[in-house]
Amino acid sequence: MVTLADLKISEVKLSEEHVGKWGMVIDQDICTGCQACVAACAMENNIPFVGEEDSGYGRSMHWIRIERFWEGEYPEVKMTPNQPMLCQQCGSAPCEPVCPAFATVHSQAEKLNLQVYNRCIGTRYCANNCPYQVRSFNWRDYERPEPLPNQLNPDVTVRRRGIMEKCTFCIQRILNAQDKAKAEGREIMDGEFTTACAQACPANAITFGRMDDPESLVSQLAKRSHGVKHLEELGTLPNVTYFKGG
Amino acid sequence: MFKRIFEWLIQPLGLIAVGIALLALFSLAAYGLYATQQPPEQPIQFPHQTHIAFGIQCLYCHPGAAKGPSAGIPSSAKCWACHNQIAKTQTSALLAPLKQAVESGAPIEWVPVAIVPDFVQFNHRAHVAAGQNCENCHGDMTKVTVAQNPQVFNMGWCLNCHVKSADDDQEKLVKLSDCGTCHY
Ligand code: HEC
Ligand code: HEC
Ligand code: HEC
Ligand code: HEC
Ligand code: HEC
Repeated sequence: MVTLADLKISEVKLSEEHVGKWGMVIDQDICTGCQACVAACAMENNIPFVGEEDSGYGRSMHWIRIERFWEGEYPEVKMTPNQPMLCQQCGSAPCEPVCPAFATVHSQAEKLNLQVYNRCIGTRYCANNCPYQVRSFNWRDYERPEPLPNQLNPDVTVRRRGIMEKCTFCIQRILNAQDKAKAEGREIMDGEFTTACAQACPANAITFGRMDDPESLVSQLAKRSHGVKHLEELGTLPNVTYFKGG
Repeated sequence: MFKRIFEWLIQPLGLIAVGIALLALFSLAAYGLYATQQPPEQPIQFPHQTHIAFGIQCLYCHPGAAKGPSAGIPSSAKCWACHNQIAKTQTSALLAPLKQAVESGAPIEWVPVAIVPDFVQFNHRAHVAAGQNCENCHGDMTKVTVAQNPQVFNMGWCLNCHVKSADDDQEKLVKLSDCGTCHY
């Protein structure tokens, strides 16, 4: 059996040299676990409400979730900081090569992982191969009773049953802001727009922006020494940096 | 049983019956195809050609095309700005629904013609800013009454023009053929 040690970690390109286009920094020390990001994400991206029964089968749908972990033995358990988990927009994504339909592909222009819903046939290989477990599958056409359809975001496709989906780093906002900047004949400014989760966060624990711009707030933050990238040793080149105990 | 039916079918009368049935199926299919290519019934037979002949700009009625993703259909208030000063408005049967809509305040329910599916994000602004004429995609509106599509808006059509307009600009080619540009 192949173990992690056999994989010669030194050969895996580590994230230090990898610079994506868009990136995110999440400060776990100031995250209060209030779930505002989860709600904002669902609103922005037309994520259906799955309901109690299907959630019980483990079919709940979120593009971002707050993970909680405990340390120690009962009764001396201590909760570690909340950990918002979302698609890490890997530079070398394990989900991509396994799709038999080429529905999850890498955007060369935006350096993001795309999920092309209309191309997806729902094999769910990608979700099984995602080390962060951040992909969710539409098991049904979930009901949206009136007046909920009125709050659907017209810039985001409403997905059907049998389709995989995941965080897009709010690509609709990225493209919108780029389009606006282009119309005004300028470059996109740092902080001009942000993702729905970062916008909703009352503690400002989430920062989003250009990674390839050394002046931007995210790229400055990401350089801090206590930044951690999750499961970096798998060579996924994630674009989300976490701070814990800084 | 099947043998009896088969024997009946290969006699002359049976062959004629089969022929008629095939012909009926074929014409039904042909009619179905034809029907998908017809512009839908609109609440008002709005004559594009006469209005454009007066020199009204497309952007006067569809101003969104220069500013954002969707071009927009004019509200009845915009029609009324001209039409309440035109004598024909009071008498024309064609314009009766417009008069009614303005008086009752109800919107005119135009039937969409130029549409792409929900999973495609189209943006007029980028195209108009890049110097694409309305005619390139919507055909010559000076010749039609209600709008109709000169071609189907399928993916090959979009990509053909994108590849052509990118020319040798590699960065532009990557951007304009990236799935994330149109599908999200
Ligand atoms: C810039 C002014 C202007 C605007 C705006 C305008 N129209 Fe007209 N429209 C005209 C003129 C002028 C005529 C020709 C009247 C005539 O033949 O005497 C006309 C003719 C028509 C006719 C044909 C009437 C007939 O009996 O032949 C229809 C139908 C019509 N308009 C509908 C509309 C609708 C619907 C709108 C709004 C989307 C609209 N128009 C906006 C100026 C305008
Ligand atoms: C590159 C091709 C292209 C060009 C150029 C273009 N359009 Fe369109 N137009 C489309 C497509 C594709 C749709 C369908 C969009 C959708 O369903 O979201 C559309 C839809 C429309 C609609 C109806 C739906 C809406 O968006 O409100 C109008 C009106 C319209 N166009 C007007 C115009 C006018 C006026 C111009 C010129 C200023 C223009 N278009 C230029 C491709 C084009
Ligand atoms: C006087 C206002 C007016 C002007 C000027 C005008 N249009 Fe329209 N347009 C309308 C109205 C009203 C409709 C809805 C009825 C229909 O579909 O024909 C419409 C519909 C359309 C549609 C179909 C939209 C859809 O999906 O329902 C297209 C495409 C379009 N126009 C393009 C153009 C172009 C291109 C020009 C300029 C050459 C132009 N229009 C000039 C009023 C106008
Ligand atoms: C007649 C040529 C033509 C057709 C047809 C066409 N496009 Fe385009 N498209 C262009 C050009 C030119 C640009 C602008 C490139 C630039 O910004 O320099 C563009 C840009 C775009 C952009 C914006 C890219 C950006 O820079 O953000 C989108 C989105 C887009 N097209 C979608 C579509 C879709 C969807 C269709 C088919 C329904 C389509 N286009 C059909 C010529 C075309
Ligand atoms: C320039 C815009 C554009 C780009 C880039 C683009 N598409 Fe499309 N795509 C479209 C349009 C428009 C349609 C709708 C065609 C129709 O209505 O027949 C479509 C339809 C499709 C369909 C058919 C869906 C169905 O149910 O009929 C698939 C699958 C698809 N696209 C996959 C992709 C993939 C994968 C990529 C990236 C390699 C991509 N597209 C890039 C514009 C685009």
